[in-house]
Amino acid sequence: MIPDYSIGLLVAFASAGVAFFALMRETDGLHRLLLTDLIEVVTLAFIALVGTDLAEALILPGLVVGVSELIALSEIYRVKEGYVRPPAAGLRIEVMESAPGILAAILVVYGIVLSGFSGGAVAGLGVIFYFLCRDHSERFELIETASGYSWVFWIVAFFVFMLLPQYWFFAVMLAGSAILVKVLAKMSLIGTMRGGPNA
Amino acid sequence: MNAVFVLGLAILVIGVLSVAFVRPKTYVARLINLEIPAWGLLLVMLAYDEALALLTFVAVTAISTFVIVRLMEWRDASC
Repeated sequence: MIPDYSIGLLVAFASAGVAFFALMRETDGLHRLLLTDLIEVVTLAFIALVGTDLAEALILPGLVVGVSELIALSEIYRVKEGYVRPPAAGLRIEVMESAPGILAAILVVYGIVLSGFSGGAVAGLGVIFYFLCRDHSERFELIETASGYSWVFWIVAFFVFMLLPQYWFFAVMLAGSAILVKVLAKMSLIGTMRGGPNA
Repeated sequence: MNAVFVLGLAILVIGVLSVAFVRPKTYVARLINLEIPAWGLLLVMLAYDEALALLTFVAVTAISTFVIVRLMEWRDASC
């Protein structure tokens, strides 16, 4: 009986080979970008096959790096090809005007209740949704400043852990809320990627 | 051997073939076919109980689809 892991590895290798072959033969830029996305999915299967907590710990940063790489490559491609902004906003639906505020508020409040990294992700999702549906003429320097200060608070919390361990609870609260603001600010920037004056 | 695991691997292979040799060769067809290998990967993750990785993958797929659709929209506007 051949073990599961070997069969999975064989299948994943074959799929990766097919995906790289298609990427080799492709010449169009946007098609190549789509195939890069395919290769990301296939190679994540290699890590998923390990099937332990280690796999989960490796997949999370892999996904984050993958999506930031995709955003960066798409921006480079857009500038290289000289694409311009579409003339008018596409969607004009009533629900897009009223729903974002309510849904974003619910998600942000729930994210603050969760706190920490996952709380930041939930709250950030709410802010992304808000920025995607509404206009985004906000002050981005303010978001970036808040993000920078929250990073400093996060580091301060680690110094408290090392130098004054008796105040560990204060440090936990500080680190949890700081990483919440940090992740929220970074994720909210994704929602504004429509090439406005600020982006 | 787990049924979910076998199904996941099968869908992964089918999806990779359908994206690599897509027909008709348009951007939208390729983007839609990209969901098939993603399903295969999700089933493989499900077979090993990797809940956190699975949820993050769903969220990241939504964002990357948004990025690519935005690029296509801009492309249509300038051509």
